[in-house]
Amino acid sequence: MWPQGRIPVKMKEAFWNSIAAYNSATWIWQIAMAVVAAVLPALLWFRPKEWVKTVTKLYMAAVSLWIAFVYYMKYGAVRDYSNVMTIFWCLVALSWIYDLATRFSSFRKSGKYSAIGLAILVLPLAYPFISVSRGLEFPQITTPMIPSGVALYMLGMLMTFNRKINFFAFLLVMHWSVIAISKIAIFKIPEDALLAAACIPSMVIFFLQMLKDAGQSSFKPSGKYVKTLIYAVAVLLAGCMAVA
Amino acid sequence: MTQEHMTEIANFLARYLSYMLGSGVHTSRVVRNSKRIGAALGVDVSIHTSQKTATLTVTDSECLFFKTRVVDIPAFPISFEWNADLSALSWAACDEKMSLEAIERKFAEITAKPRMNPVFVLFMVSLANASFCRLFGGDIWAMLITFTATMIGFFTRQHLTKRKVNHYIVFIVSAFVASICASSSLALGIDTAEIALATSVLYLVPGVPLINGLIDITDGHIQIGISRIVNAFMLIICIAIGMSVTLMLVKDSLL
Repeated sequence: MWPQGRIPVKMKEAFWNSIAAYNSATWIWQIAMAVVAAVLPALLWFRPKEWVKTVTKLYMAAVSLWIAFVYYMKYGAVRDYSNVMTIFWCLVALSWIYDLATRFSSFRKSGKYSAIGLAILVLPLAYPFISVSRGLEFPQITTPMIPSGVALYMLGMLMTFNRKINFFAFLLVMHWSVIAISKIAIFKIPEDALLAAACIPSMVIFFLQMLKDAGQSSFKPSGKYVKTLIYAVAVLLAGCMAVA
Repeated sequence: MTQEHMTEIANFLARYLSYMLGSGVHTSRVVRNSKRIGAALGVDVSIHTSQKTATLTVTDSECLFFKTRVVDIPAFPISFEWNADLSALSWAACDEKMSLEAIERKFAEITAKPRMNPVFVLFMVSLANASFCRLFGGDIWAMLITFTATMIGFFTRQHLTKRKVNHYIVFIVSAFVASICASSSLALGIDTAEIALATSVLYLVPGVPLINGLIDITDGHIQIGISRIVNAFMLIICIAIGMSVTLMLVKDSLL
């Protein structure tokens, strides 16, 4: 199924070397951005003013562009097709800018799933600890400011403040978590299992919410069949993760 | 037959054929069904169709009166269910000698049926594309990436269509978004990454207009047949533009 034996060692080396170069050069910026990332949900939780929501969306766009241009274009340029990932993260940034322009997502709590959301928000902090526990040393470790950590943070924000979410951003994060599942196998990064594991319940919750918002009575097949389909796809994804 | 009754028949048939043409039924079937209902109600029906409008003339058997209607063809989603049910209605009208009121009632019932759930369609289209990926030789990872790439592309299409964006632009943007997401498989070094890239836009292929166009031409409805084929080719060109942008960005070539 997965061509394990054919993954060039050079590819894995390039991956870890680029992470090391990125961490060495940007660790101070990463800490600064992580602090902002920690302040924003606190502000949204306790003082959900309009300007906080605007700043959060701008931060989401900025952090996506950071991953696109700093992580992939500058330090990940040695990897094959890193330009693809740059474009992908520009798309993520675009989804937040579009959301800001249309003022679609509300970043308001719905009273449900906030606990799961907060748990997911904390998960990116586990990345360096898992790396260290695996015997890796700085700078060759994963941090909360690598793509999967940022995707996990976005997922946590969407889950915590889920009254009306930016669905484009969610789908792009979901796509990223599918990539993460395959990266667990290819680059041997068990840290990415955090994103993959968080994405599956999020997928179920957000699609069930989307189904509810669509108004089930005016559509066919009936809601129970669509729910079954959503659960089946979630199980399928979980199965793939188990294989990885 | 009174003029008033003929007006009612003409109005109903105009609506009937516009719904059929709008939901993606090929022209000769629409003409045949409309004529069948007309015959059941005791009138002759002549129809001329084009891409955007249709003209029909209803004449009574003694050629004393005629009524002509020109109708716009609404752009409904392709519906095989309407195709089957509305065709069955024409047979029922003929076999059971239904009155115009009964036919209209049944027509209202058919067209009022609930539409497909957009979430269900989103999942099924994504699963279908992932299956195409497998059929063309993609491995499990390529299938998964095709699944989510299609989901993003199709959601973009649903969103832009809801916002009434020009459908050629919708096709270009959706093809670009789906293919750029699928191209992420290239960075992972998956063997079948190019299959994922190629199959991620298959959900956009306008199969029904292409088939209808060909059937129309072979049935002698040359004008609308060519219109439908030209429209389908325009959509295919839009897919090609969206995908070309991705390939130029990602591979510096068109593969």
